Amino acid sequence: MRLLMTASQIHGLPVVTVRGGEDIAEVRDVIYNPEAGRLVGVTLNKRGFLAGRHREVLPAEAIHAVGQDAVMVLDETSLVTPQDAPADVGHPATERNVLGDDVLTEGGTSLGTVADLVLLVGSSGEVVGYQIDKPGGGSGYIPLPAQLSISGVALVVPNITEEFVQDDLVGLGAAVDEFRVRMGLT
Amino acid sequence: MGLIGWLILALIVVAVTMLVFVVVRRRRRGGSIIATRSRR
Repeated sequence: MRLLMTASQIHGLPVVTVRGGEDIAEVRDVIYNPEAGRLVGVTLNKRGFLAGRHREVLPAEAIHAVGQDAVMVLDETSLVTPQDAPADVGHPATERNVLGDDVLTEGGTSLGTVADLVLLVGSSGEVVGYQIDKPGGGSGYIPLPAQLSISGVALVVPNITEEFVQDDLVGLGAAVDEFRVRMGLT
Repeated sequence: MGLIGWLILALIVVAVTMLVFVVVRRRRRGGSIIATRSRR
């Protein structure tokens, strides 16, 4: 069974070590590769009510598993300094925050704005789609890799994406495979 | 300034303090979804 989770559910999750059971940080920002459809890492906050940004980051390779209640890592050495991390994680492109981006088809139709990112729970780190706020109200889901281009302002998707807007996460799970077949990606 | 005036002033100070607190906390918490730079 594929269990899907949104990035907003991952924000604030504790980062816990498998070996020591220690709660060492919490998730701040989620960084993903839209072309590969993969999570590449997360930035961190220190634990505590008013604690700020954690100096170290967590690349996807160092994540043991992403669960509903915690992000699991082997031990404290899984956290690395920005200098030792892949550039996309160590120095994330903060201007490419997709939240609030307009989702436009290549034909110029607006499907809404990006409200969230949908990931597969577990160790794969696969990103399967976006949650969008529709122009007429309400939310929907579109499968990934849907985007032809992406910036901090707009996400341009193929016209076919309009047919795959789903009303719930269950529908998205089923739509992803069909979408990839139609796009010739599988 | 009468008692009512002081009460209103105190309420304004509390409201502004709470607003600043919430904004600062939200900024510190982050919560962005960042796409990597395109390799194409």
